[in-house]
Amino acid sequence: MTQRGPLGMAMFLLSEAVFFFLLILAFVYFRSAGAANLNLEAGALDTAGLLASVFSMWRATAGDRRWLAITIGLGAAFLVGQGIQYLHLIRDGVTMSQGLFGTTFFTLAGVHGLHVLIGLVVLALVPSTAIRAMALYWYFFACVWLVIFLVAYVGNVA
Amino acid sequence: MLLITGGSIGAAINLIVTVTTERAPGMTMRLVPMFAWGTLVTSIMIVVALPALAASLVMLLSDRLLHARFFDAAQGGAPLLWQHYFWIFGHPEVYIAVLPAFGMISEIIPVFSRKPIFGYPFVATSTVAIAFLSYGVWVHHMFAVALGRNVLAVFAAASMLIAVPTGMKIFSWIATMWGGAIRFTTAMLFAVAFLLEFTVGGLSGVVFAAAPVDWQMTDTYFVVAHIHYVLVGGTVFAVLAGVYYWFPKISGRLLDEKLGRWNFWLIVIGFNTTFFVQHFLGMLGMRRRVFTYPDLPWFGALNIISTVGAGILVFGVLLLFANIAMSLYFGSVAGDDPWNAWTLEWSTASPPLLKNFEELPEVRSRRPLWDSKHPEAPDWLALGGGA
Repeated sequence: MTQRGPLGMAMFLLSEAVFFFLLILAFVYFRSAGAANLNLEAGALDTAGLLASVFSMWRATAGDRRWLAITIGLGAAFLVGQGIQYLHLIRDGVTMSQGLFGTTFFTLAGVHGLHVLIGLVVLALVPSTAIRAMALYWYFFACVWLVIFLVAYVGNVA
Repeated sequence: MLLITGGSIGAAINLIVTVTTERAPGMTMRLVPMFAWGTLVTSIMIVVALPALAASLVMLLSDRLLHARFFDAAQGGAPLLWQHYFWIFGHPEVYIAVLPAFGMISEIIPVFSRKPIFGYPFVATSTVAIAFLSYGVWVHHMFAVALGRNVLAVFAAASMLIAVPTGMKIFSWIATMWGGAIRFTTAMLFAVAFLLEFTVGGLSGVVFAAAPVDWQMTDTYFVVAHIHYVLVGGTVFAVLAGVYYWFPKISGRLLDEKLGRWNFWLIVIGFNTTFFVQHFLGMLGMRRRVFTYPDLPWFGALNIISTVGAGILVFGVLLLFANIAMSLYFGSVAGDDPWNAWTLEWSTASPPLLKNFEELPEVRSRRPLWDSKHPEAPDWLALGGGA
């Protein structure tokens, strides 16, 4: 019985992996100029927060709701950090329709952010029986973010 | 469409988890019915292929609603990216549509030939092989895009390769029928017709897997004929066989066999009349996706034949609906096991009770119902079937 939830979640994440692989591939394919607009420090701060939430999520699977609350807090901080960066980008004229960098970055980061937001809502409501499955979800999207950070923020600096 | 994609993935996950964790005691993966094998592999394919469609749709929606520039060549976007992403989904989708059909045929042909399926491990393995290969052939939908000779060669070879596991299945089904006591029920008629029609569709597919042939045939009615022989001659015929086979289990009543025969012959004659001539029309150069055609020799005559066939096909399909509607109320009562079949669904009531089985069935071979009917010669004894 306990295996079904994580197995179903693993299958779902397999399909998400293909989905994000293709979106990241599209970002790389266009290799468009514009990464200079990204704020590496702010991105690194976001990344650090999200990776810290992986640890707190792992502790939360033991059943301690306080660690779950910390995870939700860190996730929310990540989204706020992303939101601030989006605003700066838009102020600098980098938008969805302005050019290929805006198109690929906002689609990729936006769709990822949407998944984090959905994850936050589910984490807030999740019964303790489903927490292991949701932990997989959370680890996965932290990893996806790490790839996006490396490809979009770090990879483009060089 | 994005929502349908999500729904399909959800259903597929449900099926994968069910097949892997909810089997009856003794039902190992080497004993599950071939239809369950087909469903499992199809579901995994859905999980891996449909997100490619979802990604394409997200990008397309961004373009259309948010004025993004993924596919707008005038703004530096790449329409070619759309073609790749769409067909990375699109070609596996063809096999997603046909693998469950293969599974149904693998259930129906043995029961009406009174023989266990020939080469069970090969039928299962070829299903997995098809699933893997189907991810390496998408570019054969794009041969006319000028992608470079090496790319074409690789994808042409891969596309031809996929005919091998498919051919294995065809030979397994023929070998199952060989020497069997065949009962030509309507379900079996559709299954046999499936073998013939699908082989035609498969062979025309191998023909234009060769890139130069594809350059000649692309966007002609030859492609239209091919896709219909695969999807109608393949999937739809198998589904019709499945409808006649499982309708009694689902509804508790048999479909009328006499109407079934009319239904079968009208559909077979109508289908072949409609689509076979389109091979010739395509080779003569008639373009698809254009509502009219030039007045060239044979074009008119062949199109008339095709139109008449479509008319016949309509009557066949209407007869199917009539048969279903009438049999639902007036059909003869089926009983638990009208076909003297072997798999577990036929051991329970028709239609099945709320929890399917009153007690968990014991499974020791691929034909558990045969075993309980023939305690003197069960499969697990004769074939070492527990293996």
